[in-house]
Amino acid sequence: MTWRSWLKIGLLLAPGLGLILIFIGSVVYIAIAQSFGYYNLAGESGFSLEYWAIMFDRATYSRAISYSLYVGTASAFLAVAFAYPLAIWLRRPFSGSLMISAILKAPLLVHGLVAAFLYINIISYHGILNQLMQWLGIWDGPHRLQNDRNAVGVLILQTWKNMPFALLLLAGAVQSISDDVLDAAADLGAGPWDRFRRVIAPLSVSATQAALVIIFIGALADFSFQVIAGPVNKQSLSQLMVFFKGYGRWNDAAVVAVTLMGLAIVGSGVLAVFSRFVMRGGRLK
Amino acid sequence: MTRTGLNKILLWSLFGVCVIWLVVPFSMAILWSLVDPAEVWTPDKLLPPVMSFYRWTYLWQFSSLKTAMFNSYLLAPSAAILTLTLALPTAYALGRLKFPGKETAKLLALLPLVVPGFVTAIFFTAILFQLGLNAWRFGAILFAHSILFLPYAIRIMTVSFEQVRQDHIDAARDLGASPMARWYVAYVPALKPGIMATLLIVFIQSIEEFSIAFIVGAPNFTTIPTLLFTNLGQAFIRPNAAVLSLILVVPNIIFMLFLERVMRSANPALSSGKG
Repeated sequence: MTWRSWLKIGLLLAPGLGLILIFIGSVVYIAIAQSFGYYNLAGESGFSLEYWAIMFDRATYSRAISYSLYVGTASAFLAVAFAYPLAIWLRRPFSGSLMISAILKAPLLVHGLVAAFLYINIISYHGILNQLMQWLGIWDGPHRLQNDRNAVGVLILQTWKNMPFALLLLAGAVQSISDDVLDAAADLGAGPWDRFRRVIAPLSVSATQAALVIIFIGALADFSFQVIAGPVNKQSLSQLMVFFKGYGRWNDAAVVAVTLMGLAIVGSGVLAVFSRFVMRGGRLK
Repeated sequence: MTRTGLNKILLWSLFGVCVIWLVVPFSMAILWSLVDPAEVWTPDKLLPPVMSFYRWTYLWQFSSLKTAMFNSYLLAPSAAILTLTLALPTAYALGRLKFPGKETAKLLALLPLVVPGFVTAIFFTAILFQLGLNAWRFGAILFAHSILFLPYAIRIMTVSFEQVRQDHIDAARDLGASPMARWYVAYVPALKPGIMATLLIVFIQSIEEFSIAFIVGAPNFTTIPTLLFTNLGQAFIRPNAAVLSLILVVPNIIFMLFLERVMRSANPALSSGKG
């Protein structure tokens, strides 16, 4: 390629890819630099490990890490676990399958905050669920279900919101497996479970990995569901970061941000390798 | 049991779950939005004792709803047009030209999807402070939204550019069409669905975006999601939150139905940048 061709490609890539690299690159660079004491908005700037050292001693920081990892991983697995059987069921069209597919996609239309409101509306102290349980005679009085300690509410909301995304990806992958391949497997004596384990699962590894990773990153960095429906005695990493930023403690916020990005990269890698290993029947290649 | 019979049972079970999952929550939201403050809706009553549109008119007249709607509905189309404009040259290069490192470039274009939203929001604010640009919040959020949603636009438009048929371009050239005429007859018809899908997806993403609008815009610049967040937190009044929730969800349904029509032939996973 001539320098003219390179110049042309460079100019074409500049407004799109160029802006992404400059902007996201700056965000990542500033977060890392501020976590080590540089780019201070107030006071002296200079290399320091102090912010990391102080943060490692904080119980709220380690609690936020384990809590965010729990929400991220559990949400990713739950969404994929619900989406997988539905994707296989809807692989071949049948009467009513289009309607079901449309209904299942409905949460894509609903904003996460709206979903959170609808959910707390149902489970509130005098909400419809409490009233129903009392009317059925299962509970004597109303129970406090909102902001539960184990973040079940957050997991329900994350699964509800993310399952359609997982379904979109998995349905595409499962539908692209030709009937010939599955018929050949059946002719060779493979039952439904073997067809799933030896044909469908290995051929849909990439879609499963993409679904797990995208949902994991989103749920790991959750803020709004946590604030509205999450436990009051635990903070997610995003919540902790916003808390520090609110008090102008940019360096502390940066330490949490770098942790969040590091966990997103490492966690995504682990999930991708794990799903490949499991779905290929214990093989990585 | 036959496959058809099993499908029927599963279909009805899923229908029942969906009723609980969708119809009940939305019916509750509609009922709460109609509660008249003249008499409270207590747990012993199945329906609100007095129903009116008081909350709707009250919020419209006395809250920052009008401002939030104005901001959101100005921001979203602006972000859609700006994102499309920025994405087109890159998508052309990725879709039509051959060069070393093209696959890496395609992967790097997905970078904004990988960095958590709140990290982008908070450190974008830090950059604005450094540059002294934090005063013009509309411009800052517009710029941030455009960058954040570029991966969707680049992905969709790259696929669209790949679908432009070379024989159409060659035929137009052989018939003596100028570069501009070739663009109109060969490129535009193939790109139209992608352009519509990009505009709609970025519009919906921008209307829904919360973290950047919340961090960069607070406290002066309100959008519908940030107003809803405030009404779900410190200023929680259930009927008001119900009105705002319904206002936020209805346009989305209309736009998504439109999007479904536009993209009927496309692979939604690919088009939404998730493939």
